[in-house]
Amino acid sequence: MRELTELWVDAQAWLFDTFVSPVLFHFGLMAWYEPGYNAVEFIMLGVVQIAIIAVGMRFFERRWPLEKSSADDRLIRVDQVYTVLNKLGIVPLAIFIVTYPLVQHIELSMRTWGFAPPRLERILPWLGDNALASFLVYFILYDFAAYWLHRAQHGFAWWWSLHSLHHSQRRMTVWTDDRNHVVDDLLINLALVLFSQVVGVQPGEYVLILMIGRLVESWSHANVDMSFGRLGERLLVGPRFHRLHHALSTPEERHIQDHNFAPVFPIWDILFGTAIYDGKHRPTGVDDPVVDADNGRGWITQQVTVLGRLVRALVPGLRRSSMSPGLRPPAE
Amino acid sequence: MNRLSFAAIALSLAVAGGAARADSVLILNSDEASYSVLSRSTRTEIARHPVGREPHHLIVTPDGKEVLIGSTATNELLGLDIKTGERKRIVKDIIDPYHLGFSPDGKWFVTAAYRLDHVDIFHADGFRLAGRIFIDGLPSHLAFDAESKTVFVTLQQSGRLAAFDLETQSLKWNMPVGNTPAGVIMLPDNKRLLVALTGEDGIVSVDPKDGAVTGRLRTGKGAHNFWPKGDGKHYFLSNRVEGSVSLIDTTGDMRVVGSVRIPGGPDCMDITPDGKELWVTQRFLRRVAVVDIEQLKVVASIPVGKSPHGVFMLKGSAGPAEGPVRAASTTADRK
Repeated sequence: MRELTELWVDAQAWLFDTFVSPVLFHFGLMAWYEPGYNAVEFIMLGVVQIAIIAVGMRFFERRWPLEKSSADDRLIRVDQVYTVLNKLGIVPLAIFIVTYPLVQHIELSMRTWGFAPPRLERILPWLGDNALASFLVYFILYDFAAYWLHRAQHGFAWWWSLHSLHHSQRRMTVWTDDRNHVVDDLLINLALVLFSQVVGVQPGEYVLILMIGRLVESWSHANVDMSFGRLGERLLVGPRFHRLHHALSTPEERHIQDHNFAPVFPIWDILFGTAIYDGKHRPTGVDDPVVDADNGRGWITQQVTVLGRLVRALVPGLRRSSMSPGLRPPAE
Repeated sequence: MNRLSFAAIALSLAVAGGAARADSVLILNSDEASYSVLSRSTRTEIARHPVGREPHHLIVTPDGKEVLIGSTATNELLGLDIKTGERKRIVKDIIDPYHLGFSPDGKWFVTAAYRLDHVDIFHADGFRLAGRIFIDGLPSHLAFDAESKTVFVTLQQSGRLAAFDLETQSLKWNMPVGNTPAGVIMLPDNKRLLVALTGEDGIVSVDPKDGAVTGRLRTGKGAHNFWPKGDGKHYFLSNRVEGSVSLIDTTGDMRVVGSVRIPGGPDCMDITPDGKELWVTQRFLRRVAVVDIEQLKVVASIPVGKSPHGVFMLKGSAGPAEGPVRAASTTADRK
């Protein structure tokens, strides 16, 4: 492990010294020296994630596909674009630039008022000496927040107008997890960053939580009928569990997408009564022609049209009716 | 992956209990909320312990009994026994203590709140806040004059150096010195300040009376922080972008008399009690380099935690007698 870490760090330092540091120095941006170094690691982690998805996870999809290859395979390509843009830091960088002033303002205001993150180590001192336990506890807390944010994405009409893009995919695969509108990504990231600061997740931990969490989520969208076993699928979200959350609603199951929300740990669905384990195979997508029309569109067109959906949701005068297509939360 | 690696190391080290020895060195792992305890003799990490969030610099108390670690994101100081490294206390309500120092007379304690743009001046006795001065530009590093009347603070973003009167907690002057000033020291004659310019490739000397720049010396790109060699004349300077440490002769016209390549964004430094080795944190490589001072040659590089920043030699049985009261890692050598 030590050798692997050193290899990683050496590569990060070389990339930074060769490509980033000279630019920061030349343009007088040395105040961003440390963040620039961390950004290199973020991109490297993105490359690793893409490799794991493209090689490891895709192996299972090719070997044991749940939905066989069809003409709809072309719908997957745009999800690959989303994944690359996200994992290589292009979308996160844009979000960072937009949200940085607000996050800074909130964080610095809290600190100026003397508010310091509570840190669980104060309550559980042993946690401070056990890095693995500390990581797991903060990961669980993070996932708890992500669970409720996910419920909010389904619960508010305006937020569903954005999040429906993620659900509109009829050909769900390991690439689908990153298929989100940038405003949706922005809101979720902003909320999770602030939550993490309030509960005291440290920056180094946050990056790893993000990476492992997103890998689990990529796998949970895989086109396979797999789970981690009867006990395992109650400990960790897998494809069978999460596919139900993407199921196309029917007259018999109008609220099917209001289940299995958990990003990583299904315990939240079990505790809050939103878990379903029935093993049935269901088609995926959204039973709304306006949302379904996202399929077949490219990245830019999807971003623009979904932004239009958001505007219509926020400005009542622009809606054609109170239940305008594309604005209907699946719970209604 | 990195965090898991850290977890494995931490778990394996937990059994050691972390008791520091006489020849121990503390390294602050700023991105990991931990500090490493290293053995000088075996040049290995012997323990790793938690500390608040984002620890960057540390300072010896005026009585020489403790070393205080500033935990910036949790607004507190962790006090360790200077000989054993044993945890003694936590001082709360010290807001964003990025860089910190005691005035030479031990009367004042000052912190530079880098993220929050203010300088706090405390009565050292009891850490009672005397005054908070808000000032734009990322207050970064600080140094005192010999009379303990003035504290000088570099402002990284605005490229300035500011002087504050300790007694009245008021601004005396605020002058431009160059791009991204970081480390600052007062020379023993109390007539020249040296300021490292991280956005440039060298240092400037500054008149402490009015902040006028009186001289320049080219050292290397990303000049960042100083450490006294111990003879009152020579100072080490880390050049973060170039990846080197320069040895500067400050007598007469300043000049570089030696340098050693240290990759990985070298930052803070300390010297072993015998004066033979310079230990330098390599922020990006997660290591600390050991430099043979006589040969100016790296003789070891020891793995530690993520983004190691402050470094400090515990004083062991020898006690702190030889250690001056210091503004964390960047004060004048007053021998």
